[in-house]
Amino acid sequence: MAFLGSFFRDLSRTPEETRADNLRDWTATIRGAVPIAELKPRERAKVAGVIQNIRIDPREGSGSIEATIIDGTGQMVARWLGRDRMPGIGLGMGLLIEGMCGVGDEGELVILNPEYDLVADPETG
Amino acid sequence: MSRTTAVLKRIFLGRPMHHGEMEHTLLPKTIALPVFSSDPLSSNAYATQEALLVLATVGAAGLDLIQPVSIAVATLLAIVVTSYRQTVQAYPTGGGAYRVAHENLGMYPGLLAASALLIDYVLTVAVSITAGVEAMTSASPALHEHKIIIAFAFIGFVTLMNLRGVKESGTLFAIPTYGFVLVIYLMIATGVSRCVFGTCPVAESADLPLPPEHALTFFLILRAFAAGTTALTGVEAIADGVPAFRYPQSKNAAKTLTIMAALSISMFLGISWLADQTHVVYLEHLEEQRSVVAQIASAVFSGGFLFYVVQAMSAAILILAANTAYQDFPRLSSILAKDNYMPHQFMNRGDRLVFSNGVLILAVLSGILIVIFDANLTRLIQLYLVGVFISFTLSQSGMVMRMRKLREAGWRKRAALSGFGATVTGVVLIVIAWTKFQRGAYIVIVAIPFFMAAMWSVNRHYSSVKGELARPDPRTADRRRGHQHMVIYVQRLDAATARSLGVVRSMRPAEVTAVTTDPGTASAWRRLAREVPLTTLSGQGNVRRQLRDHLAARRTELDEHDFLTLVVPELLQSRNLIEVFRRPGLTRLKAAMLTAPGVQLLNVPMVVDEIDPSIDETVEPARNHVLVLVSGVHNATLQAIEYAESLHATDIRAISFGLDPERTETLGNLWLEARIPHPLEIEASPFRDIGLSLRDYIRQFDADGVNQVVTVVMPEFVVSKRRHQILHGQTALVVKRHVLFERGVVAVSVPYHLHQS
Repeated sequence: MAFLGSFFRDLSRTPEETRADNLRDWTATIRGAVPIAELKPRERAKVAGVIQNIRIDPREGSGSIEATIIDGTGQMVARWLGRDRMPGIGLGMGLLIEGMCGVGDEGELVILNPEYDLVADPETG
Repeated sequence: MSRTTAVLKRIFLGRPMHHGEMEHTLLPKTIALPVFSSDPLSSNAYATQEALLVLATVGAAGLDLIQPVSIAVATLLAIVVTSYRQTVQAYPTGGGAYRVAHENLGMYPGLLAASALLIDYVLTVAVSITAGVEAMTSASPALHEHKIIIAFAFIGFVTLMNLRGVKESGTLFAIPTYGFVLVIYLMIATGVSRCVFGTCPVAESADLPLPPEHALTFFLILRAFAAGTTALTGVEAIADGVPAFRYPQSKNAAKTLTIMAALSISMFLGISWLADQTHVVYLEHLEEQRSVVAQIASAVFSGGFLFYVVQAMSAAILILAANTAYQDFPRLSSILAKDNYMPHQFMNRGDRLVFSNGVLILAVLSGILIVIFDANLTRLIQLYLVGVFISFTLSQSGMVMRMRKLREAGWRKRAALSGFGATVTGVVLIVIAWTKFQRGAYIVIVAIPFFMAAMWSVNRHYSSVKGELARPDPRTADRRRGHQHMVIYVQRLDAATARSLGVVRSMRPAEVTAVTTDPGTASAWRRLAREVPLTTLSGQGNVRRQLRDHLAARRTELDEHDFLTLVVPELLQSRNLIEVFRRPGLTRLKAAMLTAPGVQLLNVPMVVDEIDPSIDETVEPARNHVLVLVSGVHNATLQAIEYAESLHATDIRAISFGLDPERTETLGNLWLEARIPHPLEIEASPFRDIGLSLRDYIRQFDADGVNQVVTVVMPEFVVSKRRHQILHGQTALVVKRHVLFERGVVAVSVPYHLHQS
């Protein structure tokens, strides 16, 4: 009874765990993408993840748009500086970014003004 | 949500699904066929019977007409399906008759189609469940007296399955649908071969006396035909459900329609042929007779094991036919909600990506119908067909208009087909309304305008709100910023009151006063906060009114741009939701203050276990992070932002919990265009529980209420008519419930008063 099997597995696993599994499986299929957990600062890297949070800061001087992505192993930030339009991104989209990996003010991993691409992710298709 | 409810929800509804899992809820053809065809196929279980019922009133001679009548009905079915294939190809986004009529014929025909369909779905549930129960009682007559209870049990079962979500329902529903088709074919094949190669079986009712009640008239034949057209019910379901098909959606939906029509026509003609050959009689006023299909099955299989299989499968497919409506009613409601014709709550997908509110409403309405009509199939069915044929006619007429406008290659031929279909169904609609009017159809004909009027007024409300929110507000122009005036409501001198004082001090308002109804607090208050003058209200009679009057008097002294905030300290005994009900007076007071013009409400909750006697709560916290909850960029948001700016906060940020990618992008661009000088964070709420997402977000600040405070500012709509309040989401309520028990969190409601008619 596959139906009952999945029923009991659902009960034993939290939704967050299932989601992280799915995300890891998905990034493994993208060529060249490094899991966030294995990133090292000050190296060029290519990372794929699903956009979890978008932060828009229009204040003068520091105007920036940030997307936080997760890939099931960790999270990191793609930050675009000096933009007054959204770079065509939305919550839940799959994002592939490439650039020099740095560390932000709060210890988070950041790629500034990355080259980016939207990719079909396992969740929105 | 408490842990127990969470576990219960998971056991009965399954684990919550991330919205990205939508793709997985799309149906492949093999499953879509049973899910969407259970309705049209199941009507074979009673269509022949309803036609026979009419024909029997003219005596034995009438029964012979069942075959020509059935052929006419089957032809009609073929016409409608051919025409509907064009609709699903033109409208891959679904919406069916409503979409087509609304786009091509205008608002009123659109609303007419929508009302007809909604009523149709409710009736589909009521009729199918009733017929299913009848199939059971045909096999086991002892159950007859419990039929309403059985019907309710089935409604409960189907509702639960649907709250779990589309696809699992699909797998489960595949078995009875395929089983029903197989066993009916087996019955037809056995019956036909027995008639051809031997002697025809004879039904148990063949010898019933048939005194002619009416003369055989043209009107009567029309009535029989109209009754037989129940075989067409459910065709509209596939057109409405295209978005649930797997890609390529239109093609798959069109194929499914064809297969469904072929199955349905052959089954219907087969059953009618056997009804004729076995001389089944079915009478209107006879209690305790078995259904026509039951009688045929019993005769063909000589009452053996297969008879029970036919009954079981009929019951099963009928119960599950109700499922078709469970797919479509919520989906159509959500489309209507998106178009602002129904309350926006119908757009909310539940934990399992199902439009839960629609599912629940459907269950309740159909249950009511079953009780009113005492689970009597023949009486319920009289109401059924009007809605179905209105939607057929409007949808096909809409297609004609669309083809005329687009003029694609070969449009004339296709338009002629749809036009022919529309004319035929239009004529049948008139026949149905005419022949069934007195028998119950009038109820639907009266109900439809009510539905239309309701949707129209909902739409008018939403558009006037939208206009009002978008209207340029003097707020955005250059002028003096609003000053903050705060009034602390002192019920007693407790830790929550002391903390309120600390929080208020950190906000550095232009002026702070306090108000109490208890004269006993005055001297203690002077020791606590010498600089804050305390006004004592008499406390006699209605405290709410006195407070309101006090605030109204204060309001008149202020500039219109100034803020007047009532600060309500609240000491909670536990972190249980029951706290909300423990002080109904305070809850009502807060609600009443929300509607007071120009007054904002700052709620400072504190749970007793946070009390630490060594801490002076009246000292202002060092940091206050202000979060403004945002759902769009409009006047209510701008007002809340300006309120936040008056609080002298450590930092201000706007936060929104969105889920669909397009809306995040639009909101981001609007935010940048409006030049609001604060950051906006758009946070995923992957399991669509805004309260929980907000709670998790707040927790990252580690607020303790003493050194660190989080202030959640919520813009709220207040409408002038109380009944309109239901049209505005209860998001604020959900949010308040979640922040109430969070340590160090205070909540501000900034009402935006809508003045629309």
